[in-house]
Amino acid sequence: MRLDNIQIIARREYLQRIRSKGFWIGTVIFPLFAVAMTILPSVLLMRSGTTHKVVVVDDTGRVAANLSAKRPKTAPPEPRETVRLSKVDFIREVPQPDPKAQEAALDRRVVDKEIDAWIRITPEVLTGKPVEYHGRSTSNFMTQDILEDRLTEAVRRVRLTDAGFDPDKVGELSAQVPLRTIRVSKEGSRAEGGAGGFLFAYILFFMLFLSLLIWGQQVMNGILEEKGSRAVEVIISTVKPFELMMGKLSGICLVGLTQFGIWILTMVVLSAPGVVGAFGSMPDDLQIPVLNPLAAIQFVLFFILGFFVYASFYAALGAAFNSLQEAQQVAGTMGIIFAVPAMLMPMIINAPSSTLAVVSSLIPLFTPVLMPLRIVTEMPPAWQILASYALTGGFLVMMVWFCGRIYRVGILMYGKKPTIPELVRWVRYS
Amino acid sequence: MTSSLEVRDVRKSYGKFVAVDGVSFAVPETGTIFGLLGPNGAGKTTTIRMIMDIIAPDSGEVFLFGRPRGPAELHRVGYLPEERGLYPKMNVVDQLLFLGEIHGRKRRDLLPAIHRWLERVDLAQWKKSKVEELSKGMQQKVQLIGTLLHEPELLILDEPFSGLDPINQELFRELFQEHRRQGRTVILSTHGMELAERMCDHIGLISRGKVILTGGLREIKRQVGGNAYRLVAEGDLDRVQELPGVEQAVVQDGVVKLLLRPDAEGPETLRRMVEFLRVHEFRSEEPELEQIFLKAVRDAA
Repeated sequence: MRLDNIQIIARREYLQRIRSKGFWIGTVIFPLFAVAMTILPSVLLMRSGTTHKVVVVDDTGRVAANLSAKRPKTAPPEPRETVRLSKVDFIREVPQPDPKAQEAALDRRVVDKEIDAWIRITPEVLTGKPVEYHGRSTSNFMTQDILEDRLTEAVRRVRLTDAGFDPDKVGELSAQVPLRTIRVSKEGSRAEGGAGGFLFAYILFFMLFLSLLIWGQQVMNGILEEKGSRAVEVIISTVKPFELMMGKLSGICLVGLTQFGIWILTMVVLSAPGVVGAFGSMPDDLQIPVLNPLAAIQFVLFFILGFFVYASFYAALGAAFNSLQEAQQVAGTMGIIFAVPAMLMPMIINAPSSTLAVVSSLIPLFTPVLMPLRIVTEMPPAWQILASYALTGGFLVMMVWFCGRIYRVGILMYGKKPTIPELVRWVRYS
Repeated sequence: MTSSLEVRDVRKSYGKFVAVDGVSFAVPETGTIFGLLGPNGAGKTTTIRMIMDIIAPDSGEVFLFGRPRGPAELHRVGYLPEERGLYPKMNVVDQLLFLGEIHGRKRRDLLPAIHRWLERVDLAQWKKSKVEELSKGMQQKVQLIGTLLHEPELLILDEPFSGLDPINQELFRELFQEHRRQGRTVILSTHGMELAERMCDHIGLISRGKVILTGGLREIKRQVGGNAYRLVAEGDLDRVQELPGVEQAVVQDGVVKLLLRPDAEGPETLRRMVEFLRVHEFRSEEPELEQIFLKAVRDAA
C-alpha cells in the first residue's frame, strides 16, 4: 500500500469537487433552505396572527375578572373591557336579563364575523361543568388552548377564594422544586447541565444523520461514476483497489467536512454577537450545558470516524451496483441501520455502564453515536474508549478493502454477472 | 536476450466462452514495435488487460523486463486502453499531472514535461481547457501524452489509431517511431494490417484466442513468401482461385494477389492461366501481411 497514491487520488477528488459550481450552490442553498424551514413558519404565524375576538359573558361576575391574573383582584369589573392575551381578545359583556335573546344576538354577531366566538360562564362552571364555546370554527386549537388555560386558572382562583384561601399564597406554596444536577467523576464534582450532556450526543447523532443524508449519496454516485468513466482502467493498472477506494472515500468525505466546516463557522460568526449579549442578561441560576475540551475533541473525532464508516457503506453500494436506480433502492433501506443507535440512546442514557451500553458502544457501526453519549453521561474506562477507536478504525479499513475488491470485480465485468467461484477468486486475487 | 514482455500460456474464459486460449509470445527488449494483430473479438484486448493486471487470467504468467510482473514493473509501462477515458471536468494540465503522479512522478518534474509535450502535439493553447471542451482527436492526444509522460520503457497501446484522422495518425506514428529510436519498445494492437505492415518489425497474430503466428515480420515473410505472385490479366479472374495449387487469390482493381501452396510451381500455374486469361504481368513478390494472416487463419482452422 502506498500512502502517496491515496493522497493523489484524494486530492484530485477533493479539488475537482470543491471547484465545481454544484458544491458552492449546495453550500449556500442548504443553510438558506434550513433557515427558511425553521424560521419562516413562525414568522408567518406572527404576521398572520389575526387576533381572535371572543366575547365572555360571565354570569358569576367573578371569573372574567381573573382571566388576566396580572390585574388586581380588587379592581371592579368593567362592563365592556378587552383583555389581550396572546392572540385572543377577550371582550367582556354583562349578562342581559333575557339570556336567550342575548345568545341569539351573539350568534348573529359570530355569523356576521364581528366576533369569532362567545363563551358563557355559568355558576355551575365553578362546580365542574364545562364552558361552552360557540364559534364559527371549532378547529382553531391554538385559541381554544389559550382559552382553556386561562379559564382553568381563573376558575381555580375563584374556587380557592371561596374555600377561604389566598390564591397568590397557594401559588407560592405549591411552586415546583427544581433539580440541580451535579456530576460526580474522578476529576471532582461539578455542576453540569443534566440534560445538556446528552443533548450534545443527540446533536452529534443528528449531524451525522444529516451529513449522510447529503453526502452518502454523493459517495455512492462518485464511486458509480468512476466505473462508468473508463479513466479508471489506467488508474487501476498502477494503483491498488484499496488505495483507489480509500482515496476516493477520503476525498469525498473531506469535501463533506469542508462544507460542514463552512456552515458551522458561518453560524458561529453570525450568532456570536447574539450569544455574547445573551450571556450578559442571563439569570445566574440558569445552567448552560458545557462540553469539556477533551470531550469536545472526542466528539469531533467520532464525528469524522462515523462519517467515514457510514460513507463506506454507500461506497460499497456504489461499488456493487451498476446503475444508480438499483443502488438507491438499497440505500434507502440501509438508512435504517443508522437509526438503530438512536433507538438505543434512551436506554444508554439511563444506564450508561450496563452491559448493553458497553457492548453496543463497542460495535463499530454504533460506536460513533453511542460512545460519545457514554462519555457525556458517565465517563467509560479509558480502555473502552481506546478499544472503540481501534475497532471502528479497523472496521473502516476492512470496509474499504472489501469495497475495493467488489469495485474491481464490478468494474471489469463489462456487463457480465460474475459466478460465485469467480467472485471468490477475484477477492483473493491481489 | 531478455524480453521486455513475455506472456506464457495465458488463459481466460468468461463462462463457456474462451476469450484467450493459451496465449504465449515474447517481445524483444530494445527498439521494437510489436504488432498484436487479429480481427475484432480475437482476444487482443483481453490479453492486453491481463498483461496490465486489470483482469486476472485463469492461468498463465506474465513477465515484464525479465521479472514476474509486479507494481514496480507496471510503473515502467505506459498504457493506452482501448476505451479511452479522461475525467471530463478536469483541465488538461491537471489531468496530466494526475496521470503522471499515479505513475510515481513528482509534480515539479512533471510540469515542464507537460508543457513540452503540449507544444509538441499543438495543444499548448488548450492547457487550461476542460477535457470535455476538447474534440475527440485532441482528447486522444491528451491521453497519449498521459501514456508517455512518465517516460515508460515499454508502451502498450490498444488500438491507438482508431478514430484518428490521417494527420494525427501520422503524428502518432512519428511519436512511436521516435520512441523506438530511443531504444525502447512499443506494443500495439490493431486490426488494420496495412498500418501494422508499415510500422511493425515484430508481430503476433491472434485468432480466436490463440496465437497462430509470431516472430520478426521479415522472417515471417521470408518463410511464407517465395510463393506470392502479382498477376495483371483480363478474363474471368474468379477462376484463378479454382486452379490446383492456388492457396489464395485476392482480386482488387484488376490486380490479383496470388499465394501458392508450398508444393506448387509458379510457371506451371501461369501455363494453366494463359489458357483462359490474357496475362499482361505475372511476377514474384513479397507477400502482404494480410495474405499471410488469412493463410495462417485458414491453416489454424
